[in-house]
Amino acid sequence: MVSEGLNNNTPSWASILGVVAIMLGVFLTAVHGNEAMKQSVIVNNMPASGVMPEADCPEEELEEEGITVAECEYLIDHVAGIALSAPDWFPAAQMTLSGIGAVLAFISIIIGGALVNYTPWASKAAVTVFGGLAAVDLLQFAAVVNTGPTLREMYLGGILLWFILHLMLVVGALAGRHTEAEA
Amino acid sequence: MQRQGFNRTAVILHWLLAVSIFFLFISSWWMMGLPLPSPELQFRAFPFQLHKNIGITLVIIILMLLYVRLRHRPAPVDSTHMTGWMHWLAILAHVAIYGLVLAVCVTGYLSSAHTRWDTVWWWTIEFPRIAAPDEEMNEFWGELHTYAAWALLGIVAVHVSGAIYHAFRNDGIVRRMMRW
Repeated sequence: MVSEGLNNNTPSWASILGVVAIMLGVFLTAVHGNEAMKQSVIVNNMPASGVMPEADCPEEELEEEGITVAECEYLIDHVAGIALSAPDWFPAAQMTLSGIGAVLAFISIIIGGALVNYTPWASKAAVTVFGGLAAVDLLQFAAVVNTGPTLREMYLGGILLWFILHLMLVVGALAGRHTEAEA
Repeated sequence: MQRQGFNRTAVILHWLLAVSIFFLFISSWWMMGLPLPSPELQFRAFPFQLHKNIGITLVIIILMLLYVRLRHRPAPVDSTHMTGWMHWLAILAHVAIYGLVLAVCVTGYLSSAHTRWDTVWWWTIEFPRIAAPDEEMNEFWGELHTYAAWALLGIVAVHVSGAIYHAFRNDGIVRRMMRW
């Protein structure tokens, strides 16, 4: 005996948009969470003098990691390069935007579920949250554009891709709302 | 009396597990690119400990999810929406995901247990040392950890593809795991 039936009246647009939002939301929560951690780890572990020490590359560690001495030394240069190319305001700005992005991305998972269940408030909330995520992308884009070539090369492609995806979600939710209004 | 979908605890645990797994993958690729640890360079300390914290927590989450799933079984899926081979593929993927998440977590812990680094779960509970530092054992369990993680990523791709397939068909199957 079945205690409660599932809502079978969900239109296809809500079902598809909801699942895509959930999949992207899961991935983006992780991406933004990782970005916030990256900035925090780099800022908190840079030597106070700003001068990086010599690389410590013991043989057994190199074997375990599957890297050469040259690559081991490069890992230090790589982190130093990121720190060097980031203006003073960048880590705090990036941590704030990534923190907001992670929260919104997590909320988008819940919104996605609401769309799949075709909850009455879902499409309105979807426009707001997906719009918020697109706004975070734009702000991150603007922040990175105002740094140097190293960070631009590292971030801009990814941010642009996320912005396009979020724009598609916003437009999808808006189209859904218009369909609802016409019905 | 059976519910058609999964119960709320199972749904919450499922999505918590999903976010955690993706975070662990993405953060691990990044943290392995940080400088090797030395007295002056501690870039890896926080991300590695966080990786272990979440990994150990995942064991608890997956066991809770398994318990909830076995205790509250949802009604079977309508066979018109899911053919025989799809049903078996879904069961196989679920069993593989449970098994691989546990395997990844256990091998990761065993690899870490053979290093000189201690494990202090969420910087609060110190795990007792179960082995002396041993480079060969660390590498052995580390390799198993990596292979199990790649296999998990492959199975997750199958699982996600199945969910998207059913969402496009709008047959109500994905709705079973989205009941808030």
